[in-house]
Amino acid sequence: MSVSDPGETLARQDIVYADYQSAKPVDPRVVAAMLPYFTEKFGNAASLHGVGDAATAALENARTRVARFFGAEPKEIVFTSGATEASNLAIIGYALRNRRKGDHVIISEAEHVSILNIAKYLEKNGFRVTRVPIDLYGRVSPKKLRARITDETILVSVQWASTEIGTEQPIGEIAELLTGSGIALHSDAVAAEGLVPIDTSAVPVSLLSLSSNDLYGPRGLGALYVRQGVQVAPVLLGGGQERGLRSGSEDLASIVGMAAAADILIAEMGAEVPRLRAIRDRLVERVLTEIPDAHLNGHREQRMPNNAHFRFEGVEGEAMVLSLRDQGIAAATGSACSSKTLEPSHTLLSCGLLHEEAHGSLEFTFGRWSRAADVERIMAALPGVIARLRSLSPLYKTTTPA
Amino acid sequence: MKSTQYTEKTLEHFRNPRNVGTLEGPNVAVGRVGNPVCGDMMDIYIEVENDRIKDIKFQTFGCGSAVATSSMITELVQGMTLDDALKVSRGDVADALEGLPPIKMHCSNLAADALHEAIKNWREGIKPEDATKTPGGTACHPTPAAVAEIEIAKLDEYEGKGLYRRVAVDELPQLADQRVVVLDTGDRAAQLAMDLTDHTGRVVLMTTGKGPSVSAAMRSALRLSDVKILAEAQPLELLGEGELERIRVHDLNEDEEYELTADAFVLLE
Repeated sequence: MSVSDPGETLARQDIVYADYQSAKPVDPRVVAAMLPYFTEKFGNAASLHGVGDAATAALENARTRVARFFGAEPKEIVFTSGATEASNLAIIGYALRNRRKGDHVIISEAEHVSILNIAKYLEKNGFRVTRVPIDLYGRVSPKKLRARITDETILVSVQWASTEIGTEQPIGEIAELLTGSGIALHSDAVAAEGLVPIDTSAVPVSLLSLSSNDLYGPRGLGALYVRQGVQVAPVLLGGGQERGLRSGSEDLASIVGMAAAADILIAEMGAEVPRLRAIRDRLVERVLTEIPDAHLNGHREQRMPNNAHFRFEGVEGEAMVLSLRDQGIAAATGSACSSKTLEPSHTLLSCGLLHEEAHGSLEFTFGRWSRAADVERIMAALPGVIARLRSLSPLYKTTTPA
Repeated sequence: MKSTQYTEKTLEHFRNPRNVGTLEGPNVAVGRVGNPVCGDMMDIYIEVENDRIKDIKFQTFGCGSAVATSSMITELVQGMTLDDALKVSRGDVADALEGLPPIKMHCSNLAADALHEAIKNWREGIKPEDATKTPGGTACHPTPAAVAEIEIAKLDEYEGKGLYRRVAVDELPQLADQRVVVLDTGDRAAQLAMDLTDHTGRVVLMTTGKGPSVSAAMRSALRLSDVKILAEAQPLELLGEGELERIRVHDLNEDEEYELTADAFVLLE
């Protein structure tokens, strides 16, 4: 059985895929590593027979390799069904287990909606949650964070980087600030893994939410890094797998896939990241010079190397994404009109943008199968798309000089 | 259903919208609804002859369904009597497009409202230039606001903590990379806002009016600058933990309150 190459498939369909933040193809090498675990090495790691022993060996081997990628000890990795579950376990599990120390949790305003909703759940269940603001570029200010710490604070949750505007948080500085305070630091690392080094031996975070797909591994799998000595209560109860922290038979094939994905990144990240950065930089440069009234959201330098997030005056995001789709280009937007809630991106509003500006946002994220030629394709389409939508708009002429 | 799961007919109208543009002349009226804040705004122009729609054009800022519904209605009512055109509803437009995603039925299906507004303006003799001066009032929420003079709460608490009553030239660099909101108090405030754009990428000139109360020369200078104008906005209260972080704002057009993120608020004396 052969696995098709994502790059070839996209080329055959004539699609420029620039939405790697939403979903990444699984690397065919990862798929190949997983396949034996469906039909040959299918055992349950909890079984006492030889088939089960083989599964245990494969599970612990994979755990060691995933741990290595994040500078962790194997026993600090708990496999989950994804980063969302990892964040539930981290935040709810930590808060419940450590309630006697205090009832106050701090999160940043830039967090992914999954973290915002977990925080709301805690509030409904008797905890107090404070949100720390971000600056113009989306960064959490350690100073503002410090001002919000109280004697009751037990946990701080700040993402490693924004899934949306790609801004990298000063997570090292925040970790240092909390060192010795007894306050745990959780970080949602999904937007950063595979793009910048995440080394738990260098940055003293307590808990890290990780996703397999963001490493080009299978979806439906993630992991929580739990620093040795950090106490977390399980939120999913059952047979006591994963040292009691995450019950349910381990998804061995996917776990092996995540390990294979991490191995590939250890070998290739050094070359892959500069390549993506060059593609991204080229797009940013061309958009800002060739399209009038275009702005870059987020920070110029302190951002994920694959992320380009723009806003265009007088144009609405969903209309841009639809128009680009017609030309075979897959991109994303933070406009309300594409969301279920009809609210524009909370991150952009927290950065200080007005609603009408947040509506005009367009996000490109590059990945393993992106090519320099993708920028040429995007730039062959985008200026025309924006000019056309502006020509339909009663707004554009009124916001800019004639 | 995803917001983008449009019918082929909707996509076709989005790709090739009919009757885009404006109309001029003595027999023309326009209806404007929506608001850029909500993400949708449209103008529908009608030319009336013998109580019938002789010609119709539109301009729309918004998502796929906002564009498609505008285009669709211009086809539906071409040549209709005004009374018949008034009977064309949002539902009729959605039906003509063979359906809209449920989430789009209310927020981005304003074309019928814009048409009705245009007919009303025609009957009341409201000229196009008067009808398009401001964002429409029938957008996300239909009540236009009463402008009231309101004191800004907690001003004194932020003295030296984000509130500036004056900014000397040598103090401008202190505001580097800050989100600065300057309250429109005339040309001096506008000039300061423009000077600030050399130091930070984010300068908002907030005015309670429909545009800044500045001289004509200053207005054109502002247009060419990177100053973002926030019109019909009344600051109500300064908020923040120890220092200014947000401004509670009354949107006078929508009669809604929201919070605007800001690091500095300039209220010149």
